[in-house]
Amino acid sequence: MNSQLLFSGISMGIIYGLIAMGMVLIFRSVGIMNFAQGEFLMLGGYFCYTFNQLLNLHIIPSLILASLAMGFVGVLFMRTSYWPLRNAQAKAIIVSAMGASIAFKEGARLIWGSIPVNMDRVIEGTVKIGAASIQWQYIAIILASLVIMVLVYVLLEKTFIGNIMQATAQDQYMASLTGIPVVFSIGLTFALSAMITGIGGGLLAPIFFLNNVMGATAGSKAFAAIVIGGFGSVPGAIIGGLIVGLVESFGGAYISSTYQLVLIYVVLIAILMLRPQGIFGDKIQEKA
Amino acid sequence: MLEGIKSIKKSFLLVLLVITIGCAFIPFTTTSYMLRVLNIAMIAYLCVLSVYILLGMCGQNSFAQAGLWGVGAYFTANFTLKLGFGSVTAMLVAIVGTALFAFVLGFAFFRLKQYYFTFASIGLMTILNGLFMNWVPVTGGALGISGIPPFQIGGLVLDSETGKFFLIFVVCILANILIQILFHSPMGRSFMAIRDNELAASCLGINSLLTKSIAFALSGALCGAAGALYAFLSGYLSYQTFTYQQSTMYLIMIMLGGTISPVGAIIGTLVISLLQEWVRPLQNYMQLIYGVGIMILMIVQPEGILGGGKAFYEKYIRSRKRDTEVNRR
Amino acid sequence: MKSTSAPENATLKLIGVNKNFGGVTAADNICLELFPGEVVGLIGPNGAGKTTLLNLITGIYMPDKGTVILNDKNISRYPTYKRARAGIARTFQHPRLLDRCDVRTNVYMGSDLANKCKKTTGNVGEQLDYLMELAGLGQTRLDDTIDKLSYGQQKILEIIRAILCEPCVLLLDEPAAGLNNKEIGYVGALIQYAVEKNIGVLLIEHAMDFVMSICDRITVLNFGHQITTGTPKEVQENDEVIKAYLGGGKHAGR
Repeated sequence: MNSQLLFSGISMGIIYGLIAMGMVLIFRSVGIMNFAQGEFLMLGGYFCYTFNQLLNLHIIPSLILASLAMGFVGVLFMRTSYWPLRNAQAKAIIVSAMGASIAFKEGARLIWGSIPVNMDRVIEGTVKIGAASIQWQYIAIILASLVIMVLVYVLLEKTFIGNIMQATAQDQYMASLTGIPVVFSIGLTFALSAMITGIGGGLLAPIFFLNNVMGATAGSKAFAAIVIGGFGSVPGAIIGGLIVGLVESFGGAYISSTYQLVLIYVVLIAILMLRPQGIFGDKIQEKA
Repeated sequence: MLEGIKSIKKSFLLVLLVITIGCAFIPFTTTSYMLRVLNIAMIAYLCVLSVYILLGMCGQNSFAQAGLWGVGAYFTANFTLKLGFGSVTAMLVAIVGTALFAFVLGFAFFRLKQYYFTFASIGLMTILNGLFMNWVPVTGGALGISGIPPFQIGGLVLDSETGKFFLIFVVCILANILIQILFHSPMGRSFMAIRDNELAASCLGINSLLTKSIAFALSGALCGAAGALYAFLSGYLSYQTFTYQQSTMYLIMIMLGGTISPVGAIIGTLVISLLQEWVRPLQNYMQLIYGVGIMILMIVQPEGILGGGKAFYEKYIRSRKRDTEVNRR
Repeated sequence: MKSTSAPENATLKLIGVNKNFGGVTAADNICLELFPGEVVGLIGPNGAGKTTLLNLITGIYMPDKGTVILNDKNISRYPTYKRARAGIARTFQHPRLLDRCDVRTNVYMGSDLANKCKKTTGNVGEQLDYLMELAGLGQTRLDDTIDKLSYGQQKILEIIRAILCEPCVLLLDEPAAGLNNKEIGYVGALIQYAVEKNIGVLLIEHAMDFVMSICDRITVLNFGHQITTGTPKEVQENDEVIKAYLGGGKHAGR
């Protein structure tokens, strides 16, 4: 029982971590919380479903193709709902992202319908660990997510493109002065963010079925993960995601399944009250 | 306070009078369906005004307004149905109770700096919605509460749609007058000081924690009133009404209207309410058009319709001036 | 420029105020006295800790050690807003006005504080008109938004707002920086007005002519250390001061 909860908690948590990581990448790059990030998860899942079920491809190429498609969606999203508003107040961008999120949700419903759909797992079947039987998919999720995280780390820290993206995140104006094409760099960040979140959708779908409103719930949990982990910190997002996943699985089993989401947010508020900057966040210092 | 009352412009009262007289005829000229839509829109308007106080004046972004709205509604339902109080008492309890609730929470949450209050408010919204859904003795759980009696004062029972319209309308007018007073009072100025520059505000002797909590409490009072009115209007409460999505709706409304003055709240509420009605015949595509519409409106008018209009007007005045100068030469 | 000659207690007294920022000493054992109706200049090269000292006085930073005394009351642990209510008003290096409000709201912020503390609803109108006229803002309409004012006018308006708080102590952070000669004259007139009202003025400024002409005493800071305090003449002849300005490799401002 416990090890089952542990595995499902960790694998769900790591998916929340992926979404949260996508949000944090965008936040660090443009200083805006993306309120449509959960929809990237849902869209990624549907793309994967299209390649896997409707075009009958194997699940692994489907995942890769879906994530590439999500890259395009990310750029599209950035060009339509962020770029025209880049000089406006942050609230305007948040509202336009909310509009985009409604549009994504409804667009998906019109294309793929509102009946939940299913697709192939990466590895079928279950594995016995001790007394518990654990679905292979959970383990696949954990492994795949770890690989993605390492790849993102390498991309950002060790490659030239990563340096460009980080430079733009630090100071757009300075970056443009040194000859970095800022549009390109920000577009790349949005694409990367949408890609990692989208793969999460493809991995999650076989366990929970896909529907067009799954993004909102997952997005709100990822959001909680970011705040718990520390705003703007990538490791914080992942740790926060794991905490959310574990609170969800153990809290749901031992405390109350109806209060699952409530429980997550009680933890969030408790952490905010005890440590306002989150676990990994920097201390907030007001500048005089 | 006194200063605030004195500084209300005559033009404001005149406009208010004209609107009041104009609107008094509405119930006799429209269908009862449209009247229902209007009633719901006016209740939304009260909540949007509460966002105006908090976001437009004080610069604090809250996603918990629909939760506070629900608190007000459940207060009213419990006090009328279970404790047998009269409508007026129940409504007052809802207003004061929600305001106190918001004040205490604000005092805790506003210790958080910058956007962290917004995060906490999202948490509060989710928690409140969870309570509405699961706390059966008070909220009726998933079944909700039904059979809330309509508003009655003296022997007068407002159970027709028209009667309810006037009740809500009067509350809206009162709320507008209060906001106008607030806007010109030292309290309102301290809100705006916090919005524009918190550090400068504290150097001007403003206790920002207390002031923000008061702003949250005032917005709570408005939401409480809106909740009570909603309970009287519909007679039935369900947790599905008081959701995070509803809160984002209020934010969208005020942002589309413009945050620079309460007029923005009216424009935003009307645009969104009417947009929803207009796209209703399109059924399947309704939500899609609605979402894209919000996006496009925001991109075209980042300062809201009111802000965009103001900028346009100022540009026009400037070009007029330039023209007359050229002519004079 | 002192208008009262009788010996009085200092309005504002700093005793051994210390502040460290992670190993960097921003204020080292600073002692300072400010009498009513007196103008004290605070000068020093860039990074000397002048603005930090102002932030310590207004409570934006809390001192690590030492006491801040205002009117014989220890306010070292007061938060910023309580210090403002106790009678400390300040301006900022870059004006911090309510930039989405009109001029009226901005200046009323000052009189709101005065009303709150003195429990009187004095008429702000006359004093405001006088000050606006004095500072060359007579033509400005109170309904205008802040962005219609020039940078210099904004800085002057901030000083007016601070004076309308009716403080005991007025802290000015580089009021003349970025202003033209005419506007500097207006700033001088406003400081003169504050002195007549018996307000103690602490002035940070790089424009030496202005400082030397208007201050009664001058305190020189360098790297958080207090080099000397004295009359303008004493300070100008002090060797250490000359060394701090010229020997440190930094220019002495204008």
